[in-house]
Amino acid sequence: MEPMIRVENLRKQYKQGARPAVDGVSFEVGKGEFFAFLGPNGAGKTTTISILTTTLSKTDGEVMIAGYDVEKEASKVRRNVGIIFQNPSLDLDLTAEENIRLHVSIYGVYAYRPFYSMMPAAYKQRIEELSQVVGIHENLFKKVKGFSGGMRRKLEIMRSLMHNPQILFLDEPTQGLDASARQSLWTYLQKIRKEENMTIFLTTHYLEEAEEADRVCMITQGKVAILGTPDEIKHKLLGDKTMLLRGEDEAALKEELDAMRATYTEENGSLKVVYSDKTPQHLLSQLHTPLTRLDIHQPTLEEAYLRLVEQSERGVSL
Amino acid sequence: MITTAQREGNAMLAIAAREITKGIKNPVLMIVSIVFPIIFIGIMGGSLSQNMAGGLGFNYLQFMMIGMIVNSIFTGLITGMSSLIEERNQNMTQELYVSPISRYSIIIGKMIGSSFTSLVGLIGIVLVALIMQIPLGGMHIVYLFLITPLFCLVGGSLGIFFIGFVQDSKTADIGSMLLVMPQMFLSGAMTPIQHSTGLLGFLAHIMPMTYCIDLARSVFYSGTDMYSKIVLYNPLTDLAVMAGFFLVFTIVGTLMFTRSERNR
Repeated sequence: MEPMIRVENLRKQYKQGARPAVDGVSFEVGKGEFFAFLGPNGAGKTTTISILTTTLSKTDGEVMIAGYDVEKEASKVRRNVGIIFQNPSLDLDLTAEENIRLHVSIYGVYAYRPFYSMMPAAYKQRIEELSQVVGIHENLFKKVKGFSGGMRRKLEIMRSLMHNPQILFLDEPTQGLDASARQSLWTYLQKIRKEENMTIFLTTHYLEEAEEADRVCMITQGKVAILGTPDEIKHKLLGDKTMLLRGEDEAALKEELDAMRATYTEENGSLKVVYSDKTPQHLLSQLHTPLTRLDIHQPTLEEAYLRLVEQSERGVSL
Repeated sequence: MITTAQREGNAMLAIAAREITKGIKNPVLMIVSIVFPIIFIGIMGGSLSQNMAGGLGFNYLQFMMIGMIVNSIFTGLITGMSSLIEERNQNMTQELYVSPISRYSIIIGKMIGSSFTSLVGLIGIVLVALIMQIPLGGMHIVYLFLITPLFCLVGGSLGIFFIGFVQDSKTADIGSMLLVMPQMFLSGAMTPIQHSTGLLGFLAHIMPMTYCIDLARSVFYSGTDMYSKIVLYNPLTDLAVMAGFFLVFTIVGTLMFTRSERNR
């Protein structure tokens, strides 16, 4: 099956740039997949997303979005994607509804009418439903200038879904939002992703948002540094998952671990035990020796990311 | 099923309506449309008329009013088009650039919207003219208003040409003033240019607004004694030059703008 996003040897050299901003990047994203694209500032994330969304020309390579070439069939690509930009792109002088009416008109979803009351019933129904879901129903006919950052983001998400895109590009969508606004936004995004089987392409600096991704691609200095599931990446960059155990009877605990063929080492009077499942619950449930210490270290994507950045700065290749 | 042409037309209409809605909601536009004619026609024109226009052989304020009508349209269109640069820098138009419509539709939509707001601005000039008892020329002013879309096209195309070569909003702000001001002084909007010679004469004759103002005056003064004293060229010559400017500016400007947007 043709992937929804296919990037092959993508290269972008800015006219003023000393080195390519993106240098031989390749990856594929499948239908319905949640793909996180991470990297430090200046790594080439925004350049890549700009090329993928047809706002910037590539220097070399091939990019296919929803089966269409970004250079030759830009218009078809645009029809199939929804984009939430790093910086809000709303017209602050217009109302929320006027912003949406402009969007559906330029996407050819509905014929433009100068007043909301003249728009077709289907438009009114869709706007009603989506505004209820994102929670801006009360403010639909108010100027966007008075909206909080969270409300503006919700409006952008609502707008980007009005033309039923197959792929949603999110370029740091929660930048500037408080924790509660971030959480409600993600709850909603995950909901529509499941309901519509929508592909999500995310760039973010909040790495906990990428923990839920199906796959993660980390880039540094314009090149793909690592690509895989969050667990694969954490394993590769941070090594095994471990926990520290201490038993009332140390010998009995060691005996039980040996019987399970668990890998462990002694560390400051405790046993550092390696586990491979998503959580150590399975391993712990088989132990009968009473424990006096249990420290589980669940590695995070953030730690993996920091390790990658550190290695990149030291010039270590993976 | 909606055709490509219908989709592009719909998009142009929506973009134009956005400009108009913003213009209507913006009280500054209304204030400027009144204040500018008061400054230029009322104060400056009044003073020149009282002190220097005695021997001209025609009503100076009426002459200037025609020039200011065209100038107002040009200013509105050039600043309207150059706002595309500012909006692009402020990310407000990113939404338009990632939509499945032609760049020509964006530019034409913007031009239609800016034309509307410019034409609304003419109300201020008419009000000032009425207050100052400047003769409006009966049906002649109606004929003049009927051809104002032509001035919108040329002014808009000059704006497109300008934004094709400008990357940032600061340059756009300064550049649009540099584009508007010399034309206002050299194209005959405020003073006759029949006797302009040398560099000033040369500049006057390469400015698009010169031909628009001349066409406006040829329509306004047609059939009157003043025609031969005021009008520079045959109206067909004006039209031909305006068409030439429009085609070159629109084609080159749009190509350059589209290229500069994606080829960084």
